Amino acid sequence: MISREDIKALNTCIQCGTCIGSCYSGRFTALNTRKILMEFIAKGKPIEENDAIWFCTSCYACTERCPRNIPLTDILLKARRQLVKEKGLPGRLDKAFKALLKTGSLVPAKDEHAKLREDLGLTLYTAQFRDDAREEVSKIVEKHIGGLI
Amino acid sequence: MKFFPGCMIHNRYPGIEASLYYVFDKLGIKISPLEGSSCCPAPGVVKSISEELWIELASRNLSLSDEDILTACNGCFTTLLEASSKINGVDVRHVAEFLYREVGIEEIKKRVVKKLPIRVAVHYGCHFFRPSKSKGMDSEKPIMLDELVEAIGAESVSYRHKFVCCGGGGGVRAAATEVANDILNLKMDAISAAEVDAIVVICPLCLHQFDVGQIELREQRGEDYDVPAIHYIQLLAIAMGMDVDKSGLVHHNVVTAELVEKLIQGEIME
Repeated sequence: MISREDIKALNTCIQCGTCIGSCYSGRFTALNTRKILMEFIAKGKPIEENDAIWFCTSCYACTERCPRNIPLTDILLKARRQLVKEKGLPGRLDKAFKALLKTGSLVPAKDEHAKLREDLGLTLYTAQFRDDAREEVSKIVEKHIGGLI
Repeated sequence: MKFFPGCMIHNRYPGIEASLYYVFDKLGIKISPLEGSSCCPAPGVVKSISEELWIELASRNLSLSDEDILTACNGCFTTLLEASSKINGVDVRHVAEFLYREVGIEEIKKRVVKKLPIRVAVHYGCHFFRPSKSKGMDSEKPIMLDELVEAIGAESVSYRHKFVCCGGGGGVRAAATEVANDILNLKMDAISAAEVDAIVVICPLCLHQFDVGQIELREQRGEDYDVPAIHYIQLLAIAMGMDVDKSGLVHHNVVTAELVEKLIQGEIME
């Protein structure tokens, strides 16, 4: 969750705009890191479901360049978590997290991928292909986000 | 060392793994797969949902090894390196920085049996060098990959938007594909103008974004770039003598006969 320390850090912002100037995603979308973090977090307004918050690629360019050393990307990820707690998992991520729960992989192998590995002389050794490991991973996923999937 | 494949290499681009074993065998460095490992898990997307889930899965993966862990994916590198520093686990290395820092450019040059005189656009991928503090890298303009491709006889061509994100990270490819492809579109315009034979990446998620994203840009927007993307380790394996067929390149979605021919031919060293 967004901590007092985060808010304190955000309030040291001098509104220079380096973060939005550095944002690759912001060139094309309504993603305005500064606005999301300032309006919704530093000023205490609730974060509303806002597609733009999901447009951040977490490239950390804004964080690296911020002259105030505000951990912008990490705070944005926290803001996403807060939103997920309130509104649930965004629909478009549902499939990937269901796969993680079921197979231990966000991008599981299908038969064609297993065959390609075989053709290249490689074995199948990840949790998806080991019953005990897969069950262990599944339990961890279930424990933390079972209610969201 | 233990090789941590992650989802994208194990399940989508296994040619990266086959190439990596080939290279390490030739270098005489012992490496074996980290069996029973799961998704690393992906830093941006999983941290966006639950930080507790992120750290527990990462810790489990780290606990499977008592040797140093090697990755060939920027996402896995970021997650495992950060988690390892939190739980005081094993050392985590990315194959590109390992080759550069531990093996060295001069040694790589000596191991090349076939130079690959192709023109390439290198793409580092954001999570290779940022956050820069934990990775000990230049946060703006790293040079490792440029030197690594030049060590095998390729030319790293300077191009506009070289350090722009591929667009795929942070869950954007899954949660907002249109946005991911808008960023890719910009990047591909610049790469296309540089007239290169290939895009060289060091991350399978970036590879996937260039490889599958170009197909989507063609189908949805009529943009036909047709520039193959390849992981550096695949190129290095070929330069060290691996058959192009075994590198997995021909199984990528975007591949050109010209590139394959140039890689088969190369310039055999005396």
